[in-house]
Amino acid sequence: MSGQRTVVLELTRMEAAHLAGLVTQFTELLEGAESGAGDPAIARLVPDAYADDAAAAQDFRDVTENDLLERRRQDAAAVLDSIREPATLPDDAEPDDEVLMELVELRLQPEALRAWLRCLAAIRLVLATRLDIRSEDDHDVDDPRFGIYEWLGYRLDGLVQAASGDE
Amino acid sequence: MVLLATPDLDEQVGTHLDQETMPPWQTVVWNDPVNLMSYVTHVFREYFGFDRPRAEQLMLAVHHEGHAVVAEGAREQMELHVQAMHDYGLWATIRQAPR
Repeated sequence: MSGQRTVVLELTRMEAAHLAGLVTQFTELLEGAESGAGDPAIARLVPDAYADDAAAAQDFRDVTENDLLERRRQDAAAVLDSIREPATLPDDAEPDDEVLMELVELRLQPEALRAWLRCLAAIRLVLATRLDIRSEDDHDVDDPRFGIYEWLGYRLDGLVQAASGDE
Repeated sequence: MVLLATPDLDEQVGTHLDQETMPPWQTVVWNDPVNLMSYVTHVFREYFGFDRPRAEQLMLAVHHEGHAVVAEGAREQMELHVQAMHDYGLWATIRQAPR
């Protein structure tokens, strides 16, 4: 059964630092989010549950939205908690410093792993909204944010494989 | 857990005949260009407890047909499923089964 295993994630300190930055930005976005109405990225995290019944969709939103957004905050906090140490770089680190490429191993227990999966998936949804990704083929090689989006997908896919691989 | 739906009175106190002729409610998962196929399969396995072939079959139906019905039953239960799908980041809606 998936979801019960501990996964070891190996990444460089530079990746950890970038991820910590992204998750921190995500947390800041969530702090300002009272309701999805204003921001399409937040709206994507709490979509309408009824396509053809606005009143039912609103009733559902009234009951679920706060819980869903609170879970996003908790997941982000869990991810930040597990990368705080490896993401902390020496103040005097140069861009080509060897310490940036140093590999660190994170042991993600099942609960933390689930938070990681949900959090990386949610950040990709936010980035996709910002990048206006409407089809699987949308890609702008000149926009470095696509690189971040795809790197997150690579890391998420690796974690999914590790979490759900058959014994 | 709060029950979200406020069924119409006739649904709540309906006769057996009403219950039997009322189409069930459905949890529908929709395709989006963002969520990974592997992640969607993982969600279906973890949350619904489907085996891998069933989870992959549903994921592929979402991917190729644009949506798939992943559960059917009482409205309150479908609302719980949809909230769970939203919690994973999947795009899901509730509807009454088409007659």
